[in-house]
Amino acid sequence: MKIAAAALFLIGFSLLVPQGALAGAEEDRVAFVAYFKSRFPDIPFQEYANGIYAIDSDARDQWLEIEDFPPYEFAVERGQEAWLASFPNGRTLADCFSQQQENVRIMYPRFDELSGEVITLDVAINNCRTANTLPALAYDDSELIDITAFLAFEARGKKLAVRVPDDQPGALQAYELGKRFYYTKRGQLNFACADCHIASAGQYVRADRLSASLGHTTHFPVYRSKRGKVISLHKRFSGCVRDVRAKPFALQSTEFRNLEYFLSYMSNGLEANGPGARK
Amino acid sequence: MDRARVSRVSMRLLVLVTALITVSGCATEFDRRYAAAERLQAEAAAAGAEWLETGKLMDQANKEAAGGNMDAAFSLLDKAQFQAETAIKQAEYEADAWVNRVVR
Repeated sequence: MKIAAAALFLIGFSLLVPQGALAGAEEDRVAFVAYFKSRFPDIPFQEYANGIYAIDSDARDQWLEIEDFPPYEFAVERGQEAWLASFPNGRTLADCFSQQQENVRIMYPRFDELSGEVITLDVAINNCRTANTLPALAYDDSELIDITAFLAFEARGKKLAVRVPDDQPGALQAYELGKRFYYTKRGQLNFACADCHIASAGQYVRADRLSASLGHTTHFPVYRSKRGKVISLHKRFSGCVRDVRAKPFALQSTEFRNLEYFLSYMSNGLEANGPGARK
Repeated sequence: MDRARVSRVSMRLLVLVTALITVSGCATEFDRRYAAAERLQAEAAAAGAEWLETGKLMDQANKEAAGGNMDAAFSLLDKAQFQAETAIKQAEYEADAWVNRVVR
């Protein structure tokens, strides 16, 4: 029955998307990795987790010096305190997650069959709060970002393992919508994410070089020097959308969560190494 | 009241009424075009394709209209409408075009 429903859904969904769009997540990922391997043959696969520092050696030297005194260290410490703090009912954030804390980060984003939506780590933390009588935090609230920074730090060295289960048609749909978002041109500048981070990866845009999309999600949240604080992946998405002069979607909107789902799947197999530090 | 005075008062009334009709006509025209631009903006937003400045241009147009600067108001509204229309066309084109960029 479940298989029949899934088959029916896929037939219906395939009618909604252009021919050739449904290639399968793993097939997409293999092609994605192969593209960058061909484009930058000297860069080892695991290096892509370092974002632009895999490509730009000058920026990498500066980054390594910054890492001597990591600017995100205080965020990680505050995040740990929040993770361990008791809710009014005596429970803690850790009680909401079945995994060991070092494995929490790499399990997200994931597709939740019950709600039919992609659940990111940020959403899962807020769900935990509301389930324990606390109000949800705004998605740019520093407390929330600090908790994700702590969990990212704990997960360092663990490989991303995002799943798009074959038996969950909703998961494939969310993945495909994220993929479509990634490749769709938008805004007054008529740019897709892929225009900068695939076709032009490594090229200069003004004084900065564009990072490769492979590895984009491994190191978030990141401390941004120009903002003087740690920011979320969705804040970075919002900045990119604004840069091409399109109206950004809300942080943790369905659009951005689907995009995170797609991009995270593309980076499967890379080691989590957040929080990162960027200009 | 002598006839000359009556004539002067009548002329002033005529000018005043004409000015009021013109201003109210512009306001009505502005409201109509603003509503049209707003519909297009909503259509672009529903397609997930709204541009960054469209809403700001419409807000500015509103402010200019409130200040009586109708030329500036209409000019800003035209820009907003153009942006919304182009964003909708962009979304329609991209409905199929994005697939060609997928790495294979």
